[in-house]
Amino acid sequence: MRHQYELSQLVQSYGGKEVLHIDHLVLERGRIYGLFGPNGAGKTTLFNLLAFLETPSSGSIIFDGCTVPRSKPGLRLEKFRRQVVMVDQHPIMFSTSVFKNIEFGLKIRGVGRPGRTEIIRRVLELVDLSSYASARADQLSGGETQRLALARALALSPRVLLCDEPTANVDVENQAVIRGLLSRINRDQGCTILFTSHDRLQAAGLADETFVLEKGRLVSTSHENIFSCSAAPEQGVCLLQEKTRFFLPRGCLQPLGRSRIHLNPEKYTLERGPEPTPAPGVLHGRISLLLEEGERIRVAVNTGTMVTVFLSREEYQRHRLLIGDPVTLRFGGDGVEWL
Amino acid sequence: MNFFTASFSSAIQLVFSLDPELLTVVKVSLRVSCLSTLLASVLGIPLGFFIAHGHLPAKRLIITLLNSLLALPTVVIGLFVYGFISRRGLFGSLDLLYTQNAIIIGQVILITPLVTALIVAAISRIDERYAKTARTLGATSLQTAVVIFREARFGICAAVISAFGRVISEIGISMMLGGNIKGFTRTMTTAMALEYDKGSFTLAIALGLVLMTISLAMNVLFNLVQGRGRL
Repeated sequence: MRHQYELSQLVQSYGGKEVLHIDHLVLERGRIYGLFGPNGAGKTTLFNLLAFLETPSSGSIIFDGCTVPRSKPGLRLEKFRRQVVMVDQHPIMFSTSVFKNIEFGLKIRGVGRPGRTEIIRRVLELVDLSSYASARADQLSGGETQRLALARALALSPRVLLCDEPTANVDVENQAVIRGLLSRINRDQGCTILFTSHDRLQAAGLADETFVLEKGRLVSTSHENIFSCSAAPEQGVCLLQEKTRFFLPRGCLQPLGRSRIHLNPEKYTLERGPEPTPAPGVLHGRISLLLEEGERIRVAVNTGTMVTVFLSREEYQRHRLLIGDPVTLRFGGDGVEWL
Repeated sequence: MNFFTASFSSAIQLVFSLDPELLTVVKVSLRVSCLSTLLASVLGIPLGFFIAHGHLPAKRLIITLLNSLLALPTVVIGLFVYGFISRRGLFGSLDLLYTQNAIIIGQVILITPLVTALIVAAISRIDERYAKTARTLGATSLQTAVVIFREARFGICAAVISAFGRVISEIGISMMLGGNIKGFTRTMTTAMALEYDKGSFTLAIALGLVLMTISLAMNVLFNLVQGRGRL
């Protein structure tokens, strides 16, 4: 499979401050990638680089086998930019009709009028906005705007679609529609899709692969169970998201200046049964969600804070877990990481 | 009060009788104002866009300077241009003094900073996402600029109308550089000043009415354009 993107030693700095540093990242063509990370982790910067809206301070981007030139005066990146379309978290519509909004990119690409009309009709049908063709685009609802932004992007048949939190500002019904659309585009057109999200659960059902940015760098965590963590009055105890007391495993004291903790969802032990006495690395709660994800089962446990763990099918069948069952999760020192 | 009422009613009669002298003055005013607005727009709109969107090191200083130029008195501009186009001036040989072109030059100097400052404000208010969206849809820099202009069209329209309102009502430049020559450089404002000096209020009030009507018409037009855009 050919690489859609290959990033090497990619660095982006603003005013001398490094905001993104990716040693090596390969995105394969035709796959769906989920990108996670807290606010300020560098997700938007990475998107801007992948959409060729910015040139990196250093490093290289190879797109579809072509090295993207950088930092050349008067550099024109339209050739690359026209193969990648980015859909913003809060997409903005030109203050004209729905039809003309979609037509914009097609006109730029020199598509003739009959061709434009046919493409616009098709994409509007795809996003279920056919009856809105002559409506004012800047007066649509949030969900309709997001769907129109997707239609505007899809009309251009991009090789890559970058979606910044595509479902963050829409209702549940539209979230499902948008997720369905992204899957369909990927399946039917072989379009590579990269999206950011804070909703790990929804993203898990859509992405073939996920990666996490933390302070501008790719990190090896699965971005499951990253919590803010403040020190509790007792020694060796911290509060996950300011509410759930967590006795830190032995040898895992909170380093100075670190306030985020990662509980590895694959390095733990699970036991069924009633609440044990508080002990290091132990969290107790009830199962809120069981979801099949390929060969594994996602288990969300409400411990006061929602903690996710993964079980193999065999483990799941052995434990015979049901929603509402009380369970105890034990994290050892290797299952806890400070960020 | 009777004097005012009598002058007002005579002025209305003068307007409706399409008095040739009145029509000539209005025609000169409109020609001069339209041309100077057009030229100032040609200069000020791209300049305003460049200042608003360009990465200029002294952007704030330039905007402060522009805002200061808004308060430039018309007589100062009149004097300044006079110094250049009078017989002893640098451009004396062009014989521009006391012509409509002289008024246009002065008025362009007067309103170019106004158009530029209002364009800077109009363009700066446009959401940056428009440019980003246009670029991600494949637009070149020029096509992106067109998108921004389209989104700022009402602000641009308002800037041009404000500039027109400024020049059609100014008197200092028209008087000093035009010389108030009957049938040639006499504009509505200079004619009104002259009639006032003569103690003849009828033509002055009639011109005042025309001036107010033009101003009202421009605003109605602007509101119509804006309203159409919002439909």
